[in-house]
Amino acid sequence: MMGRADAVLGVAGRIGAAVLLAAFVLFLVAPVVVIVLMSFTDQLYLTFPPTRFALRWYASAWEQSRWLRAAWNSIQIGTATALASVALGTLSALAVTRGGRRWLLPFGSLVVAPMMLPHVIIAIGLYPTMLDLGLSGSYAAVVIGHTVVATPLVFTTVAAALRGYDHALELAARTLGANGWRTFRFVTLPMIAGGLLIGGIFAFAVSFDELMLALFLAGPRTETLPRLLWEHLAQSVTPTIAAVATLILAFTLLLLVAAETLRRRKAVEPPP
Amino acid sequence: MAGIGRAAKPWTLGRGYLLLLPLPCGFLAVFFVWPLLRVVLRSVLDPRPNFSNYAKVLGAGPYAHILLYTIEIAALVTAICLLLAYPVAALTARMRGGALQVMTGLIVASLWTSAVIRSYAWLILFQRYGVVNQALIALGLAGAPVRILQTTTAVAIGMVHVLLPFMLLPLIATMRRIDPTLLRAGRILGAAPVRLFLRVYLPLSLPGVNAGVALVFITSLGFFITPSLLGGGRTTMAAMIIEEEADTYLDWPLASAIATILLALTVVIYLAYGRLARVEVTRSLR
Repeated sequence: MMGRADAVLGVAGRIGAAVLLAAFVLFLVAPVVVIVLMSFTDQLYLTFPPTRFALRWYASAWEQSRWLRAAWNSIQIGTATALASVALGTLSALAVTRGGRRWLLPFGSLVVAPMMLPHVIIAIGLYPTMLDLGLSGSYAAVVIGHTVVATPLVFTTVAAALRGYDHALELAARTLGANGWRTFRFVTLPMIAGGLLIGGIFAFAVSFDELMLALFLAGPRTETLPRLLWEHLAQSVTPTIAAVATLILAFTLLLLVAAETLRRRKAVEPPP
Repeated sequence: MAGIGRAAKPWTLGRGYLLLLPLPCGFLAVFFVWPLLRVVLRSVLDPRPNFSNYAKVLGAGPYAHILLYTIEIAALVTAICLLLAYPVAALTARMRGGALQVMTGLIVASLWTSAVIRSYAWLILFQRYGVVNQALIALGLAGAPVRILQTTTAVAIGMVHVLLPFMLLPLIATMRRIDPTLLRAGRILGAAPVRLFLRVYLPLSLPGVNAGVALVFITSLGFFITPSLLGGGRTTMAAMIIEEEADTYLDWPLASAIATILLALTVVIYLAYGRLARVEVTRSLR
């Protein structure tokens, strides 16, 4: 196998390839690393490289109750979004993959469409809708907005899991006398549980990172972490923001590792 | 598997599953289709039922220019992403074991990293006395600090950084499915490396290229965070002007007209290319 690579690339080519990959990794990772290092500065402004290691800006973020409240808002909204997206995404995926009607395919495209549209368009459409419903600025408004854009991820993950095993299993259960609910509970659900969980984590992550819908739909009481971050960025660039950013990065990475571990354990991937 | 499914056709449970549809259908109708329809309707009905909002967007003033600039920068970012991602993806697709896991791990982690935070990182790096300017001066490439922020260069670099994973993942997924024996056969038959690439590898990788290009271009069109932070004040993209007209100037009809144009553009590209992109992306994200 290595022989093939050598023959294609040659020595100069292999050095070139190594340099290219190194440059790529540096480009991808360096900006984020710089932020993390800067967050540990003891100065009043951001310096690089940091002169002395300190945690004062983490303490500063911790002491400002607005950051804590925004973080708690984001976690609540993310959890509700995950639950709602999993419910809607699973129902749609079941109908589209098992319904057996041709017109369900365009419906599937409609479910996925919010993922491809600029959020600003959905936001300016949802804003007056929420006003009409009297939900403007409420938790429900933000959760609904986030559910619209997070459901596609659950749908694709669960649909993949549903396509990954033989449909005849459910048929067999029904033939043996199980009703629809029991078939779902004891046949379908165990097969797609991994997909559901991963889809839910994806949905949480989407909500946790979403800015535009939160700008239009959240109120001062329901502001999310990205929204508060955005507001601070517009004003000044203090090391507190770097500290908060580092904490958000760490949390997101934790979520990713969780999803990855699940994916390894539950083979939701269908055979190629 | 398909054979069993087909044989069992009279027994499919299709109708029962259709009972699951009303809830997601209703949700999408009220919170997705109706809001979009509302934006489109408002662009032609408000303040009076005519096309005056579109005349305003496409006539004199900054709007037509901003729309064109948005398309330009989306094309530029897509091209840079493709040029950078293609060789990296080709190398990654050939990796095995640990190296492959590290590379895909990095790419997926990057995809998951908040766009606000990544753009903020570039904002810090591009400051007047930031790391990039320090490096430029130390290397003798610049005598005094250069203004990087608020230029198309800054916006393009930031956007490429955010969008690279969307190009890389479909490319890698496609390239990993290319059968290496085809390349070996070509070489044994005497094809030079360049010819081998142009006649065998490139055509086989095209589905990934199409998917990546469509995905990155469509996503670029709606970009807000990166151009606001890195280009704010001087370079404006469509999503920024929509947000500004609605939120700051409260000119919702005008914002709706620009949004409708952006929506139409996105839908056209999605329909032309989207099927490819969706299949590849779901495959690569799984």
